Amino acid sequence: MSLMTMIVKMSEGLGKTCAIFFLTVLFSLPLGMIVALLRMSKNKIVSAVTRFFITILRGTPLMLQLLAVTYGPYYLFGAGVARNKLIPVVIAFSINYAAYFAEIYRGGIESIPVGQYEAATVLGYSKFQTFMRIILPQVVKRIMPSVTNEIVTLVKDTSMAFTVSYQEMFTIGKQIANSQTSFMPFLVAGVFYYVFNLIVDRVMGRIEKRLDYYQ
Amino acid sequence: MLATVLCGCGSSASDAKPADGSAEAAADRTKFIMGIDPEYPPFSYLGDDGAYTGFDVEVCQAVCDYLGWELEVFGVNWDEKLVQLDSYECDCVWSGMTILDSMKEAGYVLSAPYYDNTQVLVVKSDSGLASSADLAGKDVAVQLGTSGEALLQDDLDELAATFGNIVTCDSFLKCFTELEGGGVDAVFVDMPVATSYVAEHEGLTIIDEALGAEQYGIAFRADDAELCAQVEEAVAALVENGTYAEIASNYPDIVNNLLFLAD
Repeated sequence: MSLMTMIVKMSEGLGKTCAIFFLTVLFSLPLGMIVALLRMSKNKIVSAVTRFFITILRGTPLMLQLLAVTYGPYYLFGAGVARNKLIPVVIAFSINYAAYFAEIYRGGIESIPVGQYEAATVLGYSKFQTFMRIILPQVVKRIMPSVTNEIVTLVKDTSMAFTVSYQEMFTIGKQIANSQTSFMPFLVAGVFYYVFNLIVDRVMGRIEKRLDYYQ
Repeated sequence: MLATVLCGCGSSASDAKPADGSAEAAADRTKFIMGIDPEYPPFSYLGDDGAYTGFDVEVCQAVCDYLGWELEVFGVNWDEKLVQLDSYECDCVWSGMTILDSMKEAGYVLSAPYYDNTQVLVVKSDSGLASSADLAGKDVAVQLGTSGEALLQDDLDELAATFGNIVTCDSFLKCFTELEGGGVDAVFVDMPVATSYVAEHEGLTIIDEALGAEQYGIAFRADDAELCAQVEEAVAALVENGTYAEIASNYPDIVNNLLFLAD
């Protein structure tokens, strides 16, 4: 198989890799905020339960969570295995990444001095207004580097969808490597991931700069 | 070095050879590391007692006993098996492995075949699917790195083209989980594996249609022809003294296709 054929075949899988990536970012970023708010809830039970789920999601391998979401329902309840693997894959990825994002958000929110809340109250802002207009804009700026970090990791983690037989780019690379007894597909995969992340890095860098309006 | 790794594995292995590696005279060998797919019953699998067992493992144990070697069983990642062999993680790959032309071309030393295999399609009994033609537009699972996968890309690519999707899983067990859970409509797998799985799990049927004839053998590194000859001799001796047949009698599903017992 020529290098060109290899690249073309693997590019076909790249679409599926992108699908995992974009859908996960789309769902996990807002979901993470909900989880973060629940985690910081004044209600002790809500916060304890959320904390418990976060420890599970961060304390077990993503690969295991992928297997659990995809095949768990079948083994536990005899429910069917999804034909379109994108659904369980995106669910598993989104939940997992939401847990990480939640902790990043929490770190950001808690880094804002209490004095600002007090000042906002004095100025007559409601709690919701304080959060949306004063706290959140600052939080977003502060957490950008950490969020970029997670998103870069996500690009590489998409290769794990292989464990549930989702035919993304790396899975196809492995198939070619196997049938051609060649290491080349892995190099191609490496370049694909690197370029993907280079783009992510640039885009996130742009966003960070945009947000830096006070500098 | 990089260049050779890129084009293939076969002959580049010598670069990775450890100082006291297989250059040692064969007579000095005390240990033999057997590379297996740990999820490939009845040839090689994790037994109820937690130790690896299976037809191939038992034969290899007998070979090692015969030659006075200590056997170590090493579970390889099946789709990386040849790379692992080349990097000295094991001394051979011996685990219901189909001899492929691509292995010969890459320079691996292959033993004489010991098993006649065919590939079959396994479907759910209530699916009403009765031949490979019925599978047009249906999803078929196959284990990555198996000869079944190679066949679908090569000799059987016309049949493969009629399938809806070909789903590659990293173990045959996952293929069957997909099938039983409704993720796919059929599994394309080696006959003995299909037979032993279907015997233990209800509701599955093997489509009575042998696809692709092939043979199992043992793979060694390119410079290990001597080791291969030693193992082959030992196996021949075991066939001679009846040990081989005795081991085979524990595996009724495969006994009829063992080449050394054919006559």
